[in-house]
Amino acid sequence: MNAVIKTPVSDPHSWWGETLRRIARSKLNLFCIAVVLTHMGVAFYGEVEYLRHRIRDTTPAYNQVNLEQRLLAPSLFRARIAGPDGGKPSALRHLVTHPLGTDSLGRDVLQRLVQGARIAFRVGIITSLIAIPIGVILGCLAGYFGGRTDDVIVWVYSTFASIPGLLFILAIAMVVGQGLLGVYLGIGLTTWVGLCRLLRGEVIKHKTLPYVQAARALGLGSARIIFRHILPNVFHIVIVTFSIRFPAAVGTEVILSFLGIGVRGEPSWGIMISNARLQLWQGIWWEITSVTVAIFFLVLAFNILGDALRDALDPRLRDQQG
Amino acid sequence: MLRYILRRVLQMIPTVLGVILVTFILFNVVGGSQARVVLGEHASTRTLEEYDEVRGFNRPLLFGWWTTTRALEDSGFDGGAGVWKGMEGVLYRLPEGSLPGRIGLPPGRSYSVPFALPLRDDTDYRFTLVYRTAPGSESAAVVSSGSPPGPDEPATTSEVHRVALAATHQWKTVHVPVVPGAPGFSPSLHFEVEKTDIEIREVRLRRKMPSPFHSQFIFYLGQIARLDFGESSSTNQKVSHMLREGIVPSLTLTVPIFVVGLVVAVSLSLVCAFFRNRFIDRFFVVLSVGLMSINYLIFIIVGQYLLAFKWEWFPVWGYESWRYLLLPVVIGVVSGLGANVRFYRTVVLDEMYRDYVRTAFAKGVSKRSVLFRHVLKNAMVPILTNVVIAIPFLYTGSLLLESFFGIPGLGYLAINAIHSADIDVIRAIVLIGSILFVVANLITDLSYAVVDPRVKFQ
Repeated sequence: MNAVIKTPVSDPHSWWGETLRRIARSKLNLFCIAVVLTHMGVAFYGEVEYLRHRIRDTTPAYNQVNLEQRLLAPSLFRARIAGPDGGKPSALRHLVTHPLGTDSLGRDVLQRLVQGARIAFRVGIITSLIAIPIGVILGCLAGYFGGRTDDVIVWVYSTFASIPGLLFILAIAMVVGQGLLGVYLGIGLTTWVGLCRLLRGEVIKHKTLPYVQAARALGLGSARIIFRHILPNVFHIVIVTFSIRFPAAVGTEVILSFLGIGVRGEPSWGIMISNARLQLWQGIWWEITSVTVAIFFLVLAFNILGDALRDALDPRLRDQQG
Repeated sequence: MLRYILRRVLQMIPTVLGVILVTFILFNVVGGSQARVVLGEHASTRTLEEYDEVRGFNRPLLFGWWTTTRALEDSGFDGGAGVWKGMEGVLYRLPEGSLPGRIGLPPGRSYSVPFALPLRDDTDYRFTLVYRTAPGSESAAVVSSGSPPGPDEPATTSEVHRVALAATHQWKTVHVPVVPGAPGFSPSLHFEVEKTDIEIREVRLRRKMPSPFHSQFIFYLGQIARLDFGESSSTNQKVSHMLREGIVPSLTLTVPIFVVGLVVAVSLSLVCAFFRNRFIDRFFVVLSVGLMSINYLIFIIVGQYLLAFKWEWFPVWGYESWRYLLLPVVIGVVSGLGANVRFYRTVVLDEMYRDYVRTAFAKGVSKRSVLFRHVLKNAMVPILTNVVIAIPFLYTGSLLLESFFGIPGLGYLAINAIHSADIDVIRAIVLIGSILFVVANLITDLSYAVVDPRVKFQ
């Protein structure tokens, strides 16, 4: 039966408090939360930096070309170079200038990596803001009303589900035009189907439960029953879906901008990979390694947290674990 | 059974129609003609028009008599005077307050804009213009698409082309017929302004279709019915021919990836289930989460660099013998392994807690026998669903692997088509991929019904 209804008022922990407590039991989960928060902080810093340079109309560090310092290895892997005044920099100074090296145009890899995180978060969040509301609203309506509404919505999502995913996204991005808007719409408009399907099934189950029948007997309106009564009880699905689709959207964005459909003039991770790919063949390993590591930890953290959230939020599993 | 098959086939039709509709909306309604992108900024109006003619883009979208033509650029004057700019005597007025941008034609002279391409004489056209005049005068101007009658010519021959504009100080919309087939026609828009100033807000030229059903949508449906997917704008080959050429290389790559991937993933998941919660199980779980977190591109780039370029185990690029396929297949299998092992492990473990398994153990059946003779057979049902559903995606090939390793399949084709805005190719690949998916779904459902008769009554 449903855990939310059974949660007694006297329970010292709130629903969310309890969930957090369950997740925090594992050190691995805490580590993942830290990784996600770090990326988030870095992305926020990147956003501030980006806006600052846009308002002042200056060239940001991540686009600053410096051909004298091109292809510098990360500071741990290179000898100290003399500064413009001829004196050798101190060891600490050496470590913090271009700590991850520079690319073929002498742009700082770390700064570009930060901007990549900014774009990854933008894509993850904005595509979720497009896909999740579509999925939630259509899924709830189809499940609750059934009949003709259900037929139409099922028809729409089975149509979307039959179109090959990456091609569909590429086609939308191409048609909408180059730039991030195409990426947002491409990913956002194609990835709501899974959530919609799950919610529809879940709402159909909840519709027959006593608490919904009671709400109906009280004469509450459909909208209120759906969004105030049923939705909170199935909301864990939305959260778990978010944690799964976020890293997927980041990965797709990387592929799109690698293919040249996506951001222009700003360093996204995909663009960095695309630049670094040819250099790798000349033995320049640091740019591609930095990007790989950054993506790896972000996606890994989301994957593990997604599992943890599912275990902690699913009412059935939750009751079993006690 | 027959009735079930029939019902299920009928259910397929709306989805196929939906896919056709979605591709139409995407490429025709939202996208529209890519003539500018494909042919470049310097293409002549005539080549642009020909591009649209071949692809049906110069027709009404769904239904209608009138369609646009490039012979005369649509002019609303909010952004500037357009083709009227710099013409002698023409005054341009910027939008101000509630007044839109407009051009003013002072009286006592004539103005003429030639058409950018010859009109067809098998159909009619018309101008639509929105104008007003300074108050006071009776007749204001004559708008025409023919030369004024010569002294020895009867006035009636060119009457067809000439329409007098009445004076009005409110904005007024008039339609002026243009008949390219009639004698005395001249390929230009011509104003003779008589006594008062005239202001024009909007000028449009529209072509009349032979019937309102000559629309883009019907054209598209016709293409699908004839299985003719048009012509590629970058290679000028037939799209259907390109698809046929591409399918074999794609399948030689995707089928081995699929089969090897499936066998490896299912075997590993059985190993995990057999050694549940022991070191080997934990190791594979961690490994698969790790593999899932590495971006697909990285597998390809690093694999190609290390295995083919640096260590020279495999050829780097090309499609000449089976050896060229080895590396892409290895990369394809490894990159998909993480997600697959996790999925199949869950499926197998789900079965492990069923009653029949407990019974089998209680009878004293060995663990290996339970796993391979009981559990695997039952786990086959969800595994097969997953497998059949994945089959249609084999057709579109692997977009990235093919372009990285130079395998001339459909994925390679699709990526090139996207880069060159080759609409016909992308639309055909998307459409056929989707229809195959729908068909595969149908086959899965029908085979379920064969295996499990209860399905029919749901």
